[in-house]
Amino acid sequence: MNTLIRNRFGTDEIEVKRNDLSKVTVTKYRLFELIHLLVEQYGYTTLNAITCTDWIEEGHFAMTYILTIKDRKHTFMVQTMIGREEAQIDSLTTLFKQAEIMERDLHEMYGIDFPGNGNLVELSLENWVHTPPLRREFDTLAFVNELHDFREGRDDNMDVKAEMKRLRALKKAAKEAAAKKEASPAEEKEAQQESDDGK
Amino acid sequence: MEEGFLREQRQMESDLNSDTSHKSSVDFLMNWFRKRSIFVLAYGTGCGAIEMPPTFTSRYDAERLGIRGAATPRQADVIIVSGYCSYKTLRRIIRTYEQMANPKYVLALGSCTINGGMYWDSYNTIKKLEDYIPVDMYVSGCMPRPESILEGFLALQKEIAEGKASSWQRYEENYAFYRKNQEKVLGKNVAPAYDADWYLYDGGLS
Amino acid sequence: MANKHITIFHGPQHPGITGNMSIELDLLGETIQKATTHVGYLHRGFEKLVERRTVIQAFTIVCRICVPEPDPNEVNFAMAVEALAGIEVSSRAQYIRVMMLELSRLAAQMLWMAGQSGSIGLYAVGQWAIADRDLILDLFEELTGGRVYHMYVYPGGVRRDLPEGFLARVEKVLVHLKKRLKLYDDIFIYNASFRQRAVGVGVVDADEAVRNGYVGQVLRACGIKADVRKDAPYLVYDELAFDIPVEHTGDVYARALVRRAEMDQSIRILEQVIDKMPEGEIMAKLPAHRKFKLPKDDTWVKVESARGEFAYYMAGDGSEKIRRMQVRGPSLVHAFTLLEDLLVGAELSDVALIMNSLGICPPEIER
Repeated sequence: MNTLIRNRFGTDEIEVKRNDLSKVTVTKYRLFELIHLLVEQYGYTTLNAITCTDWIEEGHFAMTYILTIKDRKHTFMVQTMIGREEAQIDSLTTLFKQAEIMERDLHEMYGIDFPGNGNLVELSLENWVHTPPLRREFDTLAFVNELHDFREGRDDNMDVKAEMKRLRALKKAAKEAAAKKEASPAEEKEAQQESDDGK
Repeated sequence: MEEGFLREQRQMESDLNSDTSHKSSVDFLMNWFRKRSIFVLAYGTGCGAIEMPPTFTSRYDAERLGIRGAATPRQADVIIVSGYCSYKTLRRIIRTYEQMANPKYVLALGSCTINGGMYWDSYNTIKKLEDYIPVDMYVSGCMPRPESILEGFLALQKEIAEGKASSWQRYEENYAFYRKNQEKVLGKNVAPAYDADWYLYDGGLS
Repeated sequence: MANKHITIFHGPQHPGITGNMSIELDLLGETIQKATTHVGYLHRGFEKLVERRTVIQAFTIVCRICVPEPDPNEVNFAMAVEALAGIEVSSRAQYIRVMMLELSRLAAQMLWMAGQSGSIGLYAVGQWAIADRDLILDLFEELTGGRVYHMYVYPGGVRRDLPEGFLARVEKVLVHLKKRLKLYDDIFIYNASFRQRAVGVGVVDADEAVRNGYVGQVLRACGIKADVRKDAPYLVYDELAFDIPVEHTGDVYARALVRRAEMDQSIRILEQVIDKMPEGEIMAKLPAHRKFKLPKDDTWVKVESARGEFAYYMAGDGSEKIRRMQVRGPSLVHAFTLLEDLLVGAELSDVALIMNSLGICPPEIER
């Protein structure tokens, strides 16, 4: 099976991660042909998940389709790369009914369009007008600080970093004093020996 | 220091000594009735809802204090905001709170209502519950044990007896402040204004 | 007089709903014509929060993804990080993890019993079940410090060793539960009113179930022996002896019988774990927290939770922060594809019954 997929789709070697998990990367245009082949010929009849990882440094989304064979003993991860701007990939709802809800989730979180899926409405967010949240350029801490202000701390509140620095300096000073004390009786003994020899 | 049910017993006895000297006897009786029959709205808004079944069933038994569940807002006295509120839930909490009849109380459970808690940097939760609805009692913890929740209820009962639990009046008096905060996170589509004659505005009876 | 068309919202503030979600129902009289699920009331953006955190910082929030049963989340997170970073876990730690998972499964099934009986009005079962579940939560509190959220299973092992005499106390709770479960049979499982309500309601077709990705009791009630512990064994499940109970009718009653039989199997596994608990280390040596880097790789791990197959996809990128963690709980497909299908043609009073039997837990749908 591995050689057939490699020859037909021009992929790299199929990565075997565990005895029940394999992964292959394929181009976007051959993705559906490969999934059809896995479903019809090799019996990978269940779609478990569709995930997306945002590689902003490399400028693409890595879409992973996770399929399980009918007797549930082996899982296949099929990965493909799509562009980050105007991201779109055809929908799998004709093959798998559960793809509809998974694609709806990814559409909301990443802004990926799935032509063929008729139900791409909001799922978890309500009236969201900012960038899709799971994209790497959305800074969640900046968003929160702009919209909310937190409660002030107590009056005797200490700055953690400054306090830790102070405690570390104290510890270091104590250690140096103890080392010096150990060294100084030995030094005194040496100095006395020298003076004895000198005498 | 005692633990468990002895501690609750001490607390219940201590509220017999609460300072109600300035109240008239009618006020005293009304407060006594209110505190001894608290109906909690059946709404599990967040994580803390998993410790509510143990509190209300036979092991920790909140019903001996007169606390039981109520199905609709019209029949409830207390809304327990059990943990974090996402914006979507906050809108429903505000609407439900406004539908409850006076006198009504809010018990905020968990550290997420105090200062954001575990989700302090989440883009979809609120950080301070008292900016949006008035809170009577906070119970800290993540999540609070059933004994803590019962202590929170006992403290709330003491406040009711002394006439200090008046968050619904605070809501009416400072409505502009609460409304401004609600619209800041929810946009314009919050519930119709609390003091509006809804059947004249907002497309009411059509 | 003809029946009336009406659209109502079942939830989010509703006593008959399993968590904070809502279903929009189009009714003709009392029969449902169309159901639309609405979630998002519990969305905290876990997958975004985790991207800002190192492994030990993310570990503290991961257990809060699923509220009734947090342990599968912790074990999944630990297994994914161990798969990426190549860490070995000692035998004793694996046995302790199996014990935590099975105790958590028992507690979740008791919570299910309380919910399912409450949905048809047998409130006495709920009072008993929550009180018995509390005995298991007491054990958790002794071992980990928390009743519900444990934060105990860390990549590399577990955080604390068992206290002295702990296994004897677990055994005492199991003996008590075995006696009590017989009473639950009489009052709930073989109760005539439950049988009358539940037989023939919410029937799932077996072929469609496999194709559409339904998991857990939905498959086992249709006759398919699907369980991650036997199909793709993890931890030490291949060294323990247990069965997978199945039924064949695929309705609410079959799922209830399957769950009841699973509780017996969980007790059986726990007794074996108590017998076989080995000595040894409980935690592998790990690098310091800012130096614990995950390689640029990805993996897919899964465990069997009380409701079905719970899976995580995790990707690292060579730094100490997690690049992507996708949570795939059993309820996403059950709440949308399955529920909207099952509710068409059902009665309004059966909505709570069907939702409880599918074991829909909203926090893991929208994380």
